[in-house]
Amino acid sequence: MCDIIWCKKDLGDGKVCDTVNYLDPYCFWNWEGKVACAHCGTVYYIHMIQGHMYAGPDEKPGEKPDIYPLYADQPNNGYFNYLPGIEGRTRPYTCLPRHIYLGKADMVKFSIRGRPVRGWRPQPPSAGIAGSQGFFWDIEKLSPEVWEEYQERIRKGEVKDW
Amino acid sequence: MDWEKEIQKLKVCDFEELPGPKSKEELEEMKMPFEDYCKRVFDPGNEFVKPEALKGIRWMSTTMYIFTPHSVANLAELGAECIKIEMPRMGDPMRHTSPFNEAYLYPLHDTRPMTGTGLGFTNANVNEYFITLDYHVPEAKPIFYNLVKMSDGLTECYRHGTFDRWKQGYRHVMEINPRFIYVWGGGFGYGPKIFGGSYDILGQAHAGLASITGCHEDMGGHATKATNWVIDWYSGTQITVAILAALYWRGKTGLGTMIEFSQVQAATRMMGYAAPLYGRFGIVRQRWGNWDTQLCVHGIIMTGKVDFPDAQNPQDRFESRYVMVSAFQDADFQELCNVIKKPDLYSRYKTHKERVGAPAQIEIYKAIEDWAADKTRSEVVRILREAGILAAPVMNDREVYECEHYRLRGTVRWNDDPLFGDILIHSGYSTGLMSKTPRRHRWQWRPVGADNVKIYHELLGYPMSKIQELYDKNII
Repeated sequence: MCDIIWCKKDLGDGKVCDTVNYLDPYCFWNWEGKVACAHCGTVYYIHMIQGHMYAGPDEKPGEKPDIYPLYADQPNNGYFNYLPGIEGRTRPYTCLPRHIYLGKADMVKFSIRGRPVRGWRPQPPSAGIAGSQGFFWDIEKLSPEVWEEYQERIRKGEVKDW
Repeated sequence: MDWEKEIQKLKVCDFEELPGPKSKEELEEMKMPFEDYCKRVFDPGNEFVKPEALKGIRWMSTTMYIFTPHSVANLAELGAECIKIEMPRMGDPMRHTSPFNEAYLYPLHDTRPMTGTGLGFTNANVNEYFITLDYHVPEAKPIFYNLVKMSDGLTECYRHGTFDRWKQGYRHVMEINPRFIYVWGGGFGYGPKIFGGSYDILGQAHAGLASITGCHEDMGGHATKATNWVIDWYSGTQITVAILAALYWRGKTGLGTMIEFSQVQAATRMMGYAAPLYGRFGIVRQRWGNWDTQLCVHGIIMTGKVDFPDAQNPQDRFESRYVMVSAFQDADFQELCNVIKKPDLYSRYKTHKERVGAPAQIEIYKAIEDWAADKTRSEVVRILREAGILAAPVMNDREVYECEHYRLRGTVRWNDDPLFGDILIHSGYSTGLMSKTPRRHRWQWRPVGADNVKIYHELLGYPMSKIQELYDKNII
């Protein structure tokens, strides 16, 4: 599922923006806010509910965008495109694990039985010469806040065997 | 000489005083029940106190994805020292795959703090040491050859002939190490399609397996790919079988072997009677879905109600309604017909020969599903089992995880991975138990180049300054 905003903004001199702005599926599953066209910068208000465009896109001249599209291209102009991560036009794609419905970044720190699992990033650097690594994840030293949370879970009896 | 006295002098212990049975009858008496015996000799969870069958074997793995890596993971789980060689900073492309791009474990490498290794990498590289080497540049050749000298074999998966072109194929490495066992695994092997690459799906499709998987088009089905990469896992295991045979042969002759393993070829073995059927009658085997072409009743049916209507997980909520039923013996089939209140069905299809025909199967399975239309999966299973008929629910991952049978046998278990934390695994523990030299799981994987110092310095003896220099040049 990936919705788009096809910007038809008149740029003057008979030119039309004609840019397809692609919205990342997860962020826009349930989302309300303003997105800027990657090419002309026109700001659009949209409101998406469960992946459907409930309201918008409506132009909001003079307002600041909340977010940029992930990727944009111009199919009628030889597929000229803006790749993800161009400052001021598109936003970077960071592959964050997300909640399947809410689109909220949800990086795993504990397994389903409540013990630490290294599923979040960035991890602190821990390699030695030429990228070598030891055989032990010293969680207490490398990620003390997760270790603390783990101790709290143990105290609450949330850590199980299965 | 008084032999009795002499023997008494030589004795270090007395048989009568030794623990254990003293007669055949006593032995029978002392035997523990078979169930307890099995628990004791296999002892799931205590694999690490036992010896490893392949300890002493060192294997190189210049492999990618699942198929060829899995052939080495099998060796590593059995105790071989396996060295996975990856491209510097990047690693195996399979590290960068994850179900729907969402499940990763970090870190991959310190230079790439935002990149992890995806769960797609699971089970294919267990227990291995991970080094990096860009082995096709000239400066890396001596390092590669040094590893060949000190290893028993190698598995690679490049396009056929690539290693030969890079002067590191079998013809070259056998001159360095005549005992070397060399495995090429890939799509087609030599022949008209030598340049073709391979993926599991290609194996399933090109070997004809997908054409006989799934339901017939008349029943709304299509040629179907098994969701998981079954041909990759299967072919990898077949390579391991070949490696073990090659090791045995080397033990007798002292010579290595070249193993050339075509993935599409391997998949044809899973086609069963398809080839002889065609050869005899000119009939092309067709799909028969969840039923069976040789046995009836012996298939999976759908019930009308699910077991977990309020569950959050869709696999539980919508799909917990399939049951495997087997009642192909006459008496079982008669009982099944009584249970579903269709005794006439039995009177019409009294013999297996009559039941196994296609029109009969369609009628029989429909009758069973009609009967199950107002029942849940567990009701159907309970009723059939009470009638003495073999029936089992089609379980999903969660149910496998919660199944007592698997827990008891250690098939599915939690592993405190030394670098990545709490991971639920099956891997080697699902491949059969061995009383003396069981498989074991140490770690799922390690970061890219995590063992560079261990292998290049501790094994090959390169000074640390050289390792740093190679690393700075992106050779390792």
